[in-house]
Amino acid sequence: MSNTLQVPTAAPGASAPRAAGGAARKSLLTRSRPWLLLAPALAVLAVLLLWPLVRVLLFSLQDYGLREIVSGEPNWIGLANYGEIFTSPELYTVVLPNTVGFAVLAVAGTVALGTAVAVLMASLGGFWRTVVGSAIMIAWAMPAVTGTYVWIWIFDADRGIVNETLQALGLQDEPVNWFTNRYTFYGIVLLNVIHHGFPFVAITILAGLLGVPKEMLEAAEMDGAGPWRRFWRIIVPNLKQVFAVVIILSTIWDFKVFAQVYLMPGGAGSNREALNLGVWSYVESFGQNRYGFGSAIAVLLTLVLLGITVVYVRTMLKEEEL
Amino acid sequence: MNKRFLPIAALGVAAALGLTACSGGSGDNGDGGTNAEGQTLTVWIMEGTNPDSDAYFEEVADAFTEKTGAELDVEFVQWADAHDRFVTSIAGGTTPDVAETGTTWTAEFADAGALAPIDEYVAADDLGDDLVEGLVAAGTYDDELYGMPWYAGVRSLVYRSDIFEELGLAAPTTWDEIVAAGDKIKAAHPEMMPFAVPGDAEFGVYPWVWGAGGEVSTLEGDEWVSGMASRESQEGIGFYTGLATEHGFSSAGATTWKETDVLDNFAQGNVAMALMGSWTPAAIVEKNAELEGKFAATPIPGKDGGIAPSVLGGSHLSMFETAENKDLAWEFIKLMTTGDFAKQWGDETGYFPGQTSLLDEAIASDDPLVRPFAQQMVEGGGTPPVTPKFGAVQAKKTTNTAIQAILSGQKSVEQALTDAAAEMDEIMNG
Repeated sequence: MSNTLQVPTAAPGASAPRAAGGAARKSLLTRSRPWLLLAPALAVLAVLLLWPLVRVLLFSLQDYGLREIVSGEPNWIGLANYGEIFTSPELYTVVLPNTVGFAVLAVAGTVALGTAVAVLMASLGGFWRTVVGSAIMIAWAMPAVTGTYVWIWIFDADRGIVNETLQALGLQDEPVNWFTNRYTFYGIVLLNVIHHGFPFVAITILAGLLGVPKEMLEAAEMDGAGPWRRFWRIIVPNLKQVFAVVIILSTIWDFKVFAQVYLMPGGAGSNREALNLGVWSYVESFGQNRYGFGSAIAVLLTLVLLGITVVYVRTMLKEEEL
Repeated sequence: MNKRFLPIAALGVAAALGLTACSGGSGDNGDGGTNAEGQTLTVWIMEGTNPDSDAYFEEVADAFTEKTGAELDVEFVQWADAHDRFVTSIAGGTTPDVAETGTTWTAEFADAGALAPIDEYVAADDLGDDLVEGLVAAGTYDDELYGMPWYAGVRSLVYRSDIFEELGLAAPTTWDEIVAAGDKIKAAHPEMMPFAVPGDAEFGVYPWVWGAGGEVSTLEGDEWVSGMASRESQEGIGFYTGLATEHGFSSAGATTWKETDVLDNFAQGNVAMALMGSWTPAAIVEKNAELEGKFAATPIPGKDGGIAPSVLGGSHLSMFETAENKDLAWEFIKLMTTGDFAKQWGDETGYFPGQTSLLDEAIASDDPLVRPFAQQMVEGGGTPPVTPKFGAVQAKKTTNTAIQAILSGQKSVEQALTDAAAEMDEIMNG
């Protein structure tokens, strides 16, 4: 982005002396030309992205419900929505720990598993790479809702395969409802999300792996570096940008996880210990027609994710030209 | 960009408002009613209530066109995303002329100013005395009727009559008899759940509150006061959850069950007793034909006998403020909710009609899967607090949270209900 802008702005500087005695109009035209060319795209972006963002920001400063939707009258209440969010005890004891803890584990798990599968696939021949690739694509292609129900059935208390196996092995006397405990609940969500998320990571990293120069790996092998060392010293540094992209995207997705929690037994709000940011904001705002409150949460979530993204990009890609 | 966009948008909205205002006026002034040639009435109906709704609405459309000359445009909407669609269409001013609204939504949409009151029409056609009371109460907001009673169902105690017969049991009429029956079933059929206690089904909870003499929430002056923590409510909910926690009649899985899970498990033959709706018998037989004739219903027993009130669930037909020809909209509502079409709808769906005269016919039925429900509806119909704020309580799952916390052992009955009552008061008076 910054590159494309720099090139044209440099041009008028260079041509200015030549046109010094000529028309100032021309230099104005030259200077504004890139903006004119960009104008249609910027206009579309403004309508599609900027305007909704501004609206959300405006809603977040109002007590905005069905009544306001119908009447069209604004109902300003200043920062009261934000005040309510920050003074809500549930946010600190349940919602944030669940959201952040889950996101950290899910990102770590997804990236670790995805990388492992990518390394496996890179070392496979053409036929088996296709087989493994197709298999993981199926996990990826499964809609989140369908996948969630499969995991619910697997862990069903009365007839699920997990409970039946544990009871058959004598590890457990009575059926256990895994969905009522906060940690087992999120354990299942974690399995679900990692299972659904690792194929994207695997495919992306595989693409990067195939681009790592073979000569470097061979040279390292000649110098006596084992596979473990080759991975950490050559592959990882070479794939820094790929990892950055994968981690940022996974963090954003895992922070916002909603359907995989909402559809679980008790996950739609009746098990308060299992609330995360997505479900909490839905139950507290949209379920109760409090769109202003929901917008305030959305604004905060956007800011948090922006912050995370900035930190990642700066630390991971500092030395690079970005 | 934004500055330029705003006035245009405002202009558009103003123009749209102006247009609807004009046409609304002309509709009232005469060209509505029986001669509406060339007009089209748009209607939203929930999908899945009537298994053969296409054929039904074709007949209705023919009759409607014959009577008014206007075309009927029926769109089917899924229950699951209907609320969102109403809200977005209210925001965009694109609501249909008439729509089926769930009884708990009518007050909410009326409060928002999206619905048109229909008292005058009801009075003009002299229908007021013939409407089912519970549905009128649920459709009334600020002393005005916004929802025309259409159909309703009610939850009662459904049990496996074959098992009861085998063990020489009679349908329970008191709480003690429920426990006695459950103990016998548990001993004779350990593979079955004697009484399902689902943790995520709030309408299965209130009958025990009311049956013990408690209240969910009552208006005292200007303030809603929840009765969920009262001694009576604690006794009722203590008994209900005790069926699972003390007597072991339910299962670990049921702690997180919804009503649909109860239905599925009953249909699979895993459950001997459960609270289920009057609309479920057809679905049970459809899922498992072997159960036909092997189950029956009985009104929910009060503590020492009598009938514990149970929540009426059903739908209104509501007229939206955006309807251009309100007389025409009323013609459609009247056609659907009274007389032959209302009766046919009841017969095809298994729900009870919203007209008292039609409901009386159902009570006279001797079908063991119709009569107990009809009796429950007439003698023991209850309504949760009628205020848009109660929708927020439902959205937050205040009651479900309490039941699930008790069933999973996270909280005592007293603690869970004290918390629930406090939360209810906070939301409903907020």
